[in-house]
Amino acid sequence: MLKYILKRVLIFVPTLFAISLLTFIISLNAPGDPVDMMLNQSNSGQGQSAQKLATEKAYISLKHKLGLDLPIFYFSFSNASLPDTMYRIVKAQHRYALERMCDEYGNWESISAYYLTVRNLDMSLYSVPKDSSIALDLQRSKDFAASLLETYDQLKTNVILSNLEYIFSNTPAFASLNVYLQAARSSYEEIQKNKSSYRKYIPRLQFYGFNNQYHNWIVNFIHGDFGISYQDKRPVASVIWDAVRWTMLISSLSILLSYIVSIPVGVKSAVKKGTRSDRVTTTGLFMLYSMPPFWIATMLIMFFCGGDYFDWFPAFGLGTLPDDAPLMQRLTDTSYHLILPLFCWTYTSFAFLSRQMRGGVLNVIGQDYIRTARAKGVPEKQVVWRHAFRNSLLPIITMFANIFPLVISGSFIIEWIFSIPGMGKITLEALIARNYPIVFTEMMFAAILTLIGTLVADILYAAVDPRISFSGKSV
Amino acid sequence: MNEVTDKRAPSDESFWSNVKKHFRKNRVAVYSLRGIYMLVILALIADFIANEKPLIARYKGETYFPVLKGYAVDMGLSEWPKDFQNIQWKDLKFDFAIFPPVPYLPKNIDYNNSQSVGPFESQDVKSWRWRHWLGTDELGHDVTAGMIHGTRIALTVGLVSMSIASVIGIFLGAMAGYYGDTRLKMSRGRIILNCIFLIMGIFYSFGSRSYLLGDALTTSLGSFFFEMFISLLILSCFMFAARLLSGLLNRLPYFAKKISVPVDIIVSRSIEIMVSIPTMFLIISIAAIVSKPSIYITMVIIGLTSWTGIARFIRAELLRVRNLEYIEAAHALGYTEKRTLLRHAIPNALSPVLISIAFGIASAILVESSLSFIGIGVPPETMTWGSLLAAARVSSSAWWLAVFPGFAIFITVTLCNLVGEGLTDALDPRLRK
Repeated sequence: MLKYILKRVLIFVPTLFAISLLTFIISLNAPGDPVDMMLNQSNSGQGQSAQKLATEKAYISLKHKLGLDLPIFYFSFSNASLPDTMYRIVKAQHRYALERMCDEYGNWESISAYYLTVRNLDMSLYSVPKDSSIALDLQRSKDFAASLLETYDQLKTNVILSNLEYIFSNTPAFASLNVYLQAARSSYEEIQKNKSSYRKYIPRLQFYGFNNQYHNWIVNFIHGDFGISYQDKRPVASVIWDAVRWTMLISSLSILLSYIVSIPVGVKSAVKKGTRSDRVTTTGLFMLYSMPPFWIATMLIMFFCGGDYFDWFPAFGLGTLPDDAPLMQRLTDTSYHLILPLFCWTYTSFAFLSRQMRGGVLNVIGQDYIRTARAKGVPEKQVVWRHAFRNSLLPIITMFANIFPLVISGSFIIEWIFSIPGMGKITLEALIARNYPIVFTEMMFAAILTLIGTLVADILYAAVDPRISFSGKSV
Repeated sequence: MNEVTDKRAPSDESFWSNVKKHFRKNRVAVYSLRGIYMLVILALIADFIANEKPLIARYKGETYFPVLKGYAVDMGLSEWPKDFQNIQWKDLKFDFAIFPPVPYLPKNIDYNNSQSVGPFESQDVKSWRWRHWLGTDELGHDVTAGMIHGTRIALTVGLVSMSIASVIGIFLGAMAGYYGDTRLKMSRGRIILNCIFLIMGIFYSFGSRSYLLGDALTTSLGSFFFEMFISLLILSCFMFAARLLSGLLNRLPYFAKKISVPVDIIVSRSIEIMVSIPTMFLIISIAAIVSKPSIYITMVIIGLTSWTGIARFIRAELLRVRNLEYIEAAHALGYTEKRTLLRHAIPNALSPVLISIAFGIASAILVESSLSFIGIGVPPETMTWGSLLAAARVSSSAWWLAVFPGFAIFITVTLCNLVGEGLTDALDPRLRK
């Protein structure tokens, strides 16, 4: 048994590795820039070159501090049109535009030259002295230059360049900057001239070594350092700990409740198979099972939580009592707040379990040994609870493995609807805000919890059924 | 001799007609299937039931069929006459016009009835013909039209995502179940070449074309499938080349040595990984990062994450089937492994997959509606049942926004589940009475 558990725990490792990779890939492709968010930059384009330089410096140093200017993985398998140092272009939008240009034209030398000229142009616009007569033109040129850095489409680039040329030719104050614009224009034409599109068909494997983003992240993760949240700059561990507590509390309550309620319901309905009460229960359970929890939650909030109808329950949160309030009072307040969420959380798994329980008992009740028990005069109650029930528990216990992830995933919407600060809500908010340290850690935790759930189910299975052994010997 | 044929007669009917017979006995399942047919029909003719354009109209002495013409215009076969460009159809002075039963599209905004007007409240409309039977939402969208067109989205999500899931699930599950860890034998050269050419094939078919594929996905599902088809074609060319070359390589004794490929371990392990990621987490995180949300991407994501159930089912079934006598007979007759697998083993293992698909469609619809309920993965202008339901959270007294769309989801999911139940009963001989 111990050997089996050890083996299972060892299997966790590749599984978690795969999940970490998956999460990592997801975060890489996420739009938006966490550093921009942390700096709270407004891309208004106001200010002078010194200021612009300062923000860029801050940007680069923060990127460096977060380790986001490192290569992404141990190696990259890409094509020859992309330079091996692409990760050094720190701005995600710029990098994307450059990658697409490389994909189209293939000549990195010309493209990087073009990128530099456009950056010079962008920078030079900030050195123009402030003057109300050209303020509008200046602002527009800055916007154009900024969008030029993010554009890869040939048509769009040409339009922006001609727009800039038009503004420059009509604004004498920009005369000194014309060099930069012409440089950008000519370097763009250079790209077109020296196309080497074939290069994207040459595969290339590039090794970067251990100093990469993924390695740093996973090593820190194993050491228990989950990074800091981009949103509020708190350590992720404390953010998650606050969230996991609620999710674990509600999930375990919900699992407990659904088992406690579903077992008698399932057994009763199986024993009375074919009667009216069985038909009603079965249909009711089936309908309950098909009801989307977010629908029920929305309806409950609408009809029972203030609004225009009844005002019986609080709609949101977990109560506003301070931490130093008496324990009993806090407990009752929290449970009052938890009634509706817990109901929505539980009823699907309850319906599912009851149906399984009914099926399990029905399977067993047709067996010969039940008939034997009845024939030798064992009271019906004893037949049901001692003989049939125990043997039909097996499938229900394995259901634990299915219920567990269901309950964790279910937390997503229910927590969101009822504003419970659990894992689901935190993750959803982090996803919307591109707060990836949180998302990573949540995903890993959810996976670990799920794996543990499966393991527990397996162990329970063996504990209940003596026929099952994990030692590998055939019985 | 006669006796033998007599004995056979009752069991002579084919497996599927037997299943059909048992399925028909289950009245609830039969009615549910009919209900699903109705929903499919509703989804197909949604444009004729809820549309801003009239079905038939006479305008300035000429007769038009604007709804039909709309299809032609969308396909680029025809163009709108000048009178009909950029107009509000219901304000046009037709000589005579027959409008669909619901004269609105989900995207139409009725400014006179914004701020969520209920079905029983007084509505500011021209006549009863223009009434919003199920009310409007905050902006003045007609809920009935949204519900009818939402059927189309819900069913498409269910069908497309489950098709993707079945293709992946059946392929992987069948490989794992049939070949196990020891039965798929390949020469060393073939394995090495397959690996190299698979990586190269993926590089050329997906790596070099990634931007092309990504752009196609955001435009339309049709163009995405076309590009995907080309990519798969390139990939299969590579695999074919690997096959040809391995013939050459096998002349060397080292490379010609046959070793077995542990298909079952690989597939089972990947199923385990997929299962241990909470699916909703995964779907939401992928859907949230897509820069241009599109319902097609959501379908693909749901499909790519829900194949494990099908794969498990078919794996278990093939583990059973591969030891049956008729497979042995097929081997004895000298059929190739591929033929035995495709023509004999898989068709006999498909029945449990049907159950899985029926339940899968239900859960795909649930997942999609919860996604659009949160507002992830579906563009804001697309009206789905989930997004209608989400509108109920904004206007908390508009019960019609909560009741009707939720009920539609509930009914569809229940019907699919009931059909799944019926199939389970019909396919499992132990449960038959």
